[in-house]
Amino acid sequence: MSKPKLISEDGIRVDGRRYDELRPIKMEVGVLDKSDGSAYVEFGKTRVFAAVFGPREVHPRHLSLPDRAILNCRYHMTSFSVEERKPLGMTRREVELSKVIREALETVVFLEEFPRTCIDIYIEVVQADGGTRTTGLTAASLALADAGIPMADLIAAVAVGKVDGQLVLDLNDVEDKYGEADMPMAMAPRFDSIVLLQLNGRISKDEFPKALALAKKGIMEIYRLQREALKRKYSAAPQGGV
Amino acid sequence: MPIYFSDHEVVLPGQLLSDDGRRGGEGTYVADGKVYAAQVGLATIRNNRVCVIAFKGAYRPQVGDEVIGVISDVKPNGFDVVLGKHLTGVIRIPDRRKVQNLGLRVGDVISARVKESSLRGIVLEHTRRMRRFDKGLLISIHPAKIPRLIGRRGSMINMIKRKTGCRIVVGRNGLIVISGPSPAQEFAAVTAIKEVEREAHTQGLTERIGKLIDSILKGGVG
Repeated sequence: MSKPKLISEDGIRVDGRRYDELRPIKMEVGVLDKSDGSAYVEFGKTRVFAAVFGPREVHPRHLSLPDRAILNCRYHMTSFSVEERKPLGMTRREVELSKVIREALETVVFLEEFPRTCIDIYIEVVQADGGTRTTGLTAASLALADAGIPMADLIAAVAVGKVDGQLVLDLNDVEDKYGEADMPMAMAPRFDSIVLLQLNGRISKDEFPKALALAKKGIMEIYRLQREALKRKYSAAPQGGV
Repeated sequence: MPIYFSDHEVVLPGQLLSDDGRRGGEGTYVADGKVYAAQVGLATIRNNRVCVIAFKGAYRPQVGDEVIGVISDVKPNGFDVVLGKHLTGVIRIPDRRKVQNLGLRVGDVISARVKESSLRGIVLEHTRRMRRFDKGLLISIHPAKIPRLIGRRGSMINMIKRKTGCRIVVGRNGLIVISGPSPAQEFAAVTAIKEVEREAHTQGLTERIGKLIDSILKGGVG
């Protein structure tokens, strides 16, 4: 397939967005019964579930650490999440994404509160349309908060990219495939710290700070939606108690 | 000293609670001399410390807590006690004869007080207030709901005990032992406790639980 036109003359992208617009976002917390915490996040056609278990015992035992918990993270795409059936099991790509997502989350979770235990995070992509790692990370941090695991901040993530020579926010699948660059980024907004930054393709030295600023703008919006989703679940909740 | 929340407000991880870093309590953390929430919960001030009462989350043992556990190993110098999903406590007894005298076996359910809780593990007291349960039902609820089950000054749990006529021992770790004069009364107590767990956040719960128990004991189920 030849490269489609990604941005029209009047600056509208393939799915009708402007360059700095996010896709329609939906977030829900506590969607799965059997996990300790869970979340569902939708960025346009990208749909992701995240579930958290733990802190629980480590198996096999010798993997446990005496002074902190270990964080296990599994990012996985279901076989029906993409057009061509993805074989079951973890591909190289999924193993790598699991690692970068885990490392991003480790920066905010207070692991030293639960020595000798592990916290398991399962991220399941049920429909992929670009930006699955950022959506997965956004969902995972919501699920962790829902599980009541102490953390310094939520993590919000989004990708910026360059298509048809222009910087755009929150790439979808087509823009990712035919664009010139894709730069996923995740932040702990409270501390203004970047916890994940990858770049695929080319961005010039002048464009980089602009891309960063664009991503940050998107992240602040996602962060707001995350907080709203959590508040929505818990605002009806507890009076009294202790 | 400024605080940035109203009492019993729902707060989220990373939310700024206070400028005074010396006042950080449970469910919070201190960064750059400021107190932030670490968990989703209700912010409040307790003993002049800013605290977050978490809605969910694992039980973290505090010294003095009364917990219920299952003996998982008998050693020459003590016992291992499983306290729930991820916690194992130990009872250390220097005197071997005393270990034998206690007569505890793997699978026995005991209640004990937490003597020490640190990186080295959880140590339970064996001298005072340790006891074995010979009979009863062992049930488990979410540890975060235990304060609601007890209620203000024990109002909820005392009401359940009184109405069902059961002996109920509540462990802070979420395990509960119930023993009553008849299966029907035990059933009423279990149902009531499970209902408290499910409805912990609602208003006027004590009254509704009371009615629930009455209706079960009268013969209706639920």
